[in-house]
Amino acid sequence: MVDNLTTEKKLQNYLDEIEKHDKRNNCINAFIYLNPHAIKQAKEIDKKIKEGIAKSLAGKILAIKSPICVKGLLTSCGSKTLRNYKAPYNAEIIDRLLNEDAIIIGMANMDEFASGSSGETSYFGPTKNPKALELIPGGSSSGPAAAVAANFCDIAIGTDTGGSIRNPASHCGLVGLKPTYSLVSRYGLIDLAMSTDTIGPLTKNVHDAAKILKVISGKDNKDAICQKNIEINLKKIEETPHDITIGILDFKIPNKNIQKLIDDQIEKAIKKYEWKTKKIKIDKIDLAIETYYPIIYVEAFSGTRKLDGRRFGEKIENSCGPEFLRRILGGEEISLAEHGGQYYRKAQNARQIIENEFKNAFKKCDFIICPTVPRLPHKIGGQITVKEMYAYDVLTVPFSLARVPCISIPAGEIDSIPVGMQIACNQFEDEKMLQIARCFEKLNE
Amino acid sequence: MANEFLNRKLTEKEKEGIKKQAKEIMDNFASKLSEIKKRKKETISEKEFERKEGINNKNFIDKEIMFQNAPNKNEDFIIAEKKKW
Repeated sequence: MVDNLTTEKKLQNYLDEIEKHDKRNNCINAFIYLNPHAIKQAKEIDKKIKEGIAKSLAGKILAIKSPICVKGLLTSCGSKTLRNYKAPYNAEIIDRLLNEDAIIIGMANMDEFASGSSGETSYFGPTKNPKALELIPGGSSSGPAAAVAANFCDIAIGTDTGGSIRNPASHCGLVGLKPTYSLVSRYGLIDLAMSTDTIGPLTKNVHDAAKILKVISGKDNKDAICQKNIEINLKKIEETPHDITIGILDFKIPNKNIQKLIDDQIEKAIKKYEWKTKKIKIDKIDLAIETYYPIIYVEAFSGTRKLDGRRFGEKIENSCGPEFLRRILGGEEISLAEHGGQYYRKAQNARQIIENEFKNAFKKCDFIICPTVPRLPHKIGGQITVKEMYAYDVLTVPFSLARVPCISIPAGEIDSIPVGMQIACNQFEDEKMLQIARCFEKLNE
Repeated sequence: MANEFLNRKLTEKEKEGIKKQAKEIMDNFASKLSEIKKRKKETISEKEFERKEGINNKNFIDKEIMFQNAPNKNEDFIIAEKKKW
């Protein structure tokens, strides 16, 4: 029994909600594919619970973003080219979640190949924001965020390259965690950009995010960069740390109401916990978007060379939508030998500077705080320029470039639309970051 | 003006336009990055590690599903080339 319900009953309730509101009524469109074996698996978990041998995620129902391979399930990346692709093996994180008795309810919608900040670029159609149906839920983990916010599941697993977990978590009123780069194995993740891709949870609270990170993080020999174990102690996360210096990011955003919500939360924390503050300036942060996209364009182009229509799917250039095509054609162009790597090299140079700036900043403060997204979400299908779309990630991209852990937690609402605040710590301080996020969460309980 | 982001089938003319636009965006970004002159000293040190190879039985690739995904195949192999390259 979990939450007074059996896992099977809980799963059935979620499936009923999905039946009512995912493709009909509210038409959230959070899911691309439901797991046909979920009920059978839930019965097995209930048996384990009864026998007292169930593990830490027994009773938890999870949605999985669609670039993460789940054996036998549709792993489409929200794309036409992989619309019929079933993964022939499990991603490492899926094995770890299943080993802890989690149930996978289905594969969630997403921006095509994780290329978008709005949830509109999917071949399977846009996802709606359950908190404001006419608005975008954010992206690219649009389906995972919408699935949790619409109460279609307990937890979702998303991916974050430049803000793709944190951005939709902010717009949908959830907790969204991007771990330190390389802390979670990417084995079995269909990549967007190998130098910044991460996998993390979207949850209803900080505790669940910590619980998932504890399960999925740690060394994996199948991912060459994933070689470190860190401790995630769930009891320690409940403790309040003392002698803390808050780093307030010196970055002006046009929406003053959003900044005020974050400032109010900081004020409350200072009063309750007696934490100190320091303003943190990051040199070249204003060039983070200009730094990020050349890297993403080149790595997306490189990563899609496998999508040539021979072993699976269709040739990517013949089947993708406008935003992903922009990235791969742009990546192809700037990778040409005649440019001598000038675009990519310039971007890597700037990235190095930004990464070093963050390293120095974390010597002066324990964590950095700022809004997650600088604006409120736009209407689905509304006119928005490429630059405006890329600017959604202006506050998430810098931390991705620096490969540090970040978490977005709810800060409040403006006109009933959720707004998130972002907390970032130094590399591999994921546990400390969760502890601080929990302190902010407790302010509003 | 068509929405820049909603997924749809693109005409050849639209594809040409997108290619041109992508180059313009990259040129614009590169020009802003040109303001950065000096490369700062790198601080990352890559730790060496020994990779353990071997087959994990739980993670074997399911050949049946792999063959279902392939558009061109024979009885026991995927046809990859066939003058398409």
